[in-house]
Formats: sequence, structure tokens, C-alpha cells
Amino acid sequence: MEGFPLTHLTVLERIRAGDPAVRLGAFSDLAEGYWRPSYHYLRRQWRLSPEQAEDMVQGFFTVAFEKGYLEKFDPAKARFRTFLRTCLDRYLQNQRKADTAVKRGGAVDIRSLDFPGAERELALVSADVQDPDRFFRDETIRALFARTVTDMREAYAREGKPRIFAAFERHDLADREDGEARTYASVAAALGVPVTTLTNDLHAARRRFRELALVPLRNLVGSDEEFRAEARELFGVEVDLDLKNEI
Amino acid sequence: MFLSNAIVGHLRDVATWPDLADGRYTDVRPLGSGGMGRVFAALDEPLGREVAIKISHAPVLGSDLDARLRQEARVLAQLEHPGIVPVHDLGLLGDGRVFYVMKLVRGQTLAQSQPPATESAALSVFERVADAVAFAHAHEVIHLDLKPSNIMTGAFGEVLVMDWGVAKILSSPISTSAPSELRRTSLSSPAPKVAGTPGFMAPEQAAGGAVGPASDVYALGALLFWLLRGDGPPRRLPRRLRAIITMCLVTDPAHRYPDASAVVADLARYRAGDAVHALPETVVDRAVRFGAKHITIIVLIAAYLVMRALVALWR
Repeated sequence: MEGFPLTHLTVLERIRAGDPAVRLGAFSDLAEGYWRPSYHYLRRQWRLSPEQAEDMVQGFFTVAFEKGYLEKFDPAKARFRTFLRTCLDRYLQNQRKADTAVKRGGAVDIRSLDFPGAERELALVSADVQDPDRFFRDETIRALFARTVTDMREAYAREGKPRIFAAFERHDLADREDGEARTYASVAAALGVPVTTLTNDLHAARRRFRELALVPLRNLVGSDEEFRAEARELFGVEVDLDLKNEI
Repeated sequence: MFLSNAIVGHLRDVATWPDLADGRYTDVRPLGSGGMGRVFAALDEPLGREVAIKISHAPVLGSDLDARLRQEARVLAQLEHPGIVPVHDLGLLGDGRVFYVMKLVRGQTLAQSQPPATESAALSVFERVADAVAFAHAHEVIHLDLKPSNIMTGAFGEVLVMDWGVAKILSSPISTSAPSELRRTSLSSPAPKVAGTPGFMAPEQAAGGAVGPASDVYALGALLFWLLRGDGPPRRLPRRLRAIITMCLVTDPAHRYPDASAVVADLARYRAGDAVHALPETVVDRAVRFGAKHITIIVLIAAYLVMRALVALWR
């Protein structure tokens, strides 16, 4: 059995690519995966105001792109996520020392990011940042999963299988802190399907969730090894990267 | 879309759950995780019973995890013994991971529970373990990872030897080729690797050398010592019992007990108050052991003789 085949280069390899278009695409993928965790991190850990945090996130990804901060990543020293957070910390400290306004906009298109939405979510994010690395990791996973759920909804709608997503939404995305137990029987009754149909749909949806999440996950790590480790930790799966060079 | 911590945690959990979509096994719940895979509890619907399902961590290209799990199931299926968990089913999940279904054992591992409070209780547990291992040795199977966390004790006194994932079949009486219902056909016996747990692993096993039943004997000796030591201050063990442990733990496997049945037999001799093979006796040793074994009769005879002497003096 092969693992989940993924056929493109790591995001770091793309960042280091000679082709400017490839490099820009890699930075956009990185920004998409990390802007929200970065914003929440700056708000919670550094207690920046919403405006300061927004400026800092935009400035960081723009300057990182222009000055090649992230190309210096060494997989032997840390995970890419940790490296990126450390770069963000350093950027913030440099900005404070220089007391200069951060540069907004630029080549990396991050102007359309939903900062007001991220700010609304902040109320639901832990206020206690005891371990910055762990906080950043948890927020990265939260953002990854949220994006995957959105991708899943679109994919099932496109394929004409909204029932599968409805089962997933009712059973696995229902807020589990509201005290109401969601049994297979109660969700099946609510959807008007037999329990066996529901459990089959849930199996299919969870497998799809895992497969879809691996695609953006690949854009958040710095090496094949790190990708394998993250996939193993998150989903208990081993990924097959042998097809990598086929593109 | 915002996902709460609870939803993220739930998604992380269910994303790794097995795809048992054929409907036989339902109500799947995670039980634990080990080096080779995760174990889930589930309901076997047609038979209406709770079972445990062990699933390999993942299909790793070039890894022997699948082969090891499959071999573990097939080894267990051949070893029908009250001290070895029975296997009911073996198969492949939709995503390619190997799984097998076994009896759900409710209980704790020795590592999770309080050590036995008395020598007698410790020896009772140990004898059950050694019996199961002796049965495996008689079927040419060696466990190679005996340790407290691989021994399960149940609420009704059951003692089961678990986790046969690194077990080795000495003369391959059990086929390790994939059964016809499994897709893969390129299975071969896993290559020897250093697998086991330091402290319980025989020196020859740790060094990656040839292993045999005597390698399990070493682990049994370490386990017996662990059981007798308990949590409190070190107990002063009788010489013959210490000798049994020492003989299990000899560095050279040729000087250990040859297999677990020899350990069981010597321990039975110790329990009966007889001489043990692990300790050559001097005349004094034999007299002391004889005295200890027949203390009641000796005391009665001595009391009788003293009484006779007192009566004679009084007359």
C-alpha cells in the first residue's frame, strides 16, 4: 500500500527556486497558512493592538519575501514552524528598535486577508500563552483544519455529495463543549438516513479530510522529513513522497 | 470558519481512526497506542461482543510495520493458551493499513498497577507469565519483548502476555506469507532487528546477535526481579530464589536456563522447598533446606523427645 501520494516540492524548495513566479507562489502559500496563527500569536504573546498586529503580519511576510529571511532555514536545527515564529519575533523586535513604520503590501498578495474575522476569533483562542511554540503550533493546526473543512465542503458540493459533508458537519464539527452528546443514532435521525449510511459517510469524510489536509500541510513545512513527521503526528499516516520528482 | 479546541482535538482523533466501513465493527473508540500501532475498542455487531482492534500505525513504504503486525496476528492465532490473548480476525483497511481483531482484555498492565505485595503473589503472577512463554517456546516462538508493560492483569486474576510484535518463529512452522484475502504478496519474514526494551533485553539481543528461547529467559529473570522488588525497600530474597534469578540473567545464554519451561520447573522446585538446579547444594545447605521444609515435624519430634526426657527425670 502506498501512502498518500503528493507530487510537488516542499515549500522551501519552491522558495529557493530560481523562477520568481514559483517563489512568489510559495510565499503566498506560506502566508495563507501562517498569517492567522501569526496574527493571533502577536495579539496574545506580544499584546499588540489589532492594528499593530495586522501591520506586523503584512510587513513580516512582505519583508521576508523581499529579503529572503526564510531561505536561511536549516532543517537540522528546528521545525520550519518554529523557525518562522522565531523570525517573526526577531522582525518585531527590529521594528520596535528602528521605530519605523512597517512596509505594507508589496509583491506578496496578503491584502485581502480577513483580519477583522481573525480578531473576532481571538476571543475564542486561549489567552494564556505559557509555551509560545505550542501556542503557535496549535493555532497553525487550527488554521489548517479550518481551511481543510472549507475545501471539503466545496469539494463535496462540486461532486454532488452534500450528504457526506452534512454527516461530517453534524457529527464531527458540532461544538463538543455544549454538553449535548451526538450519537450516531441522533445524527442519523436528524439527517433522515440509516445509522449504517451515516457511519459509512463519516468514514469517507474523515478519510477525505485527512487527504485534503495533507496538501496545505506540505506548504507549511521545510523538508520532506518534517512533512512525514507532521503527517505522522497529526494523522498517524505515512506519506509517499516517491512521486515528488515527477512534476 | 473557526474551530474550537474541542473540535480540533476531535478531528485530530477521528482522522486517525480506522475506516471499518464494512459495518461489522462499530462504535470504534481508541484504547491506546504502541510502537507498532494503535488499539481500538469496538463492537463486533454480528456476535454482539466487545473486541479490541489493533491497527498498524500507517502504511510505510519500505517499512516492515505491516508485516510485523500481520505476523503478530498469525503467531497469536497459533498460540491458544489461557495466558495469550486470542485473535479472531485479520484483514486490511480501506486505506491499506493491516488490522487484527482480538479479545478485549479489561485490566491493567503490570507497569500500571501496584506491584504484588508478597513474594507468593509475585511468584503466582510470574508463573502464569512463564507458563505462557513456555507454551510459546514449545511451539518454537520466542517473544523477545517481555516487560511489565506487556503483561496484562485482569479483574478476575487473568494474566496475559501481550504485544507479540517482535516475536520470532524459530523454525517457521507458522507461515508468514500473506493469506489470500490480503492484497500484498511481497511479504517475507521480517529481517532481524534490535527490538526490545533495555533492562529486559538479553545482551545478545541488544547486540543484534542470534536470539533464542534463552533470550526470553533473560527477560523473565528481569521480570521476576522486578516483581519481587516491589515499590518498597529491597526485599531480602532467599538464596535459592536469588540463584534462579541470577541463572536467568547470566550474560552467556549457554549458561542460562535453556527455555521458559526450565524456569517454570525450577521455580516449582523452589515453591515445594526442594533443591533447585540453579544452586548446587553443600551438605549444610541441604540440612538447612531440609530443616526449613520439615520444620513442623522436626519441632513435634523435638517436643516429644523433650517431654520424654522430662518425664524420665521426674520419675
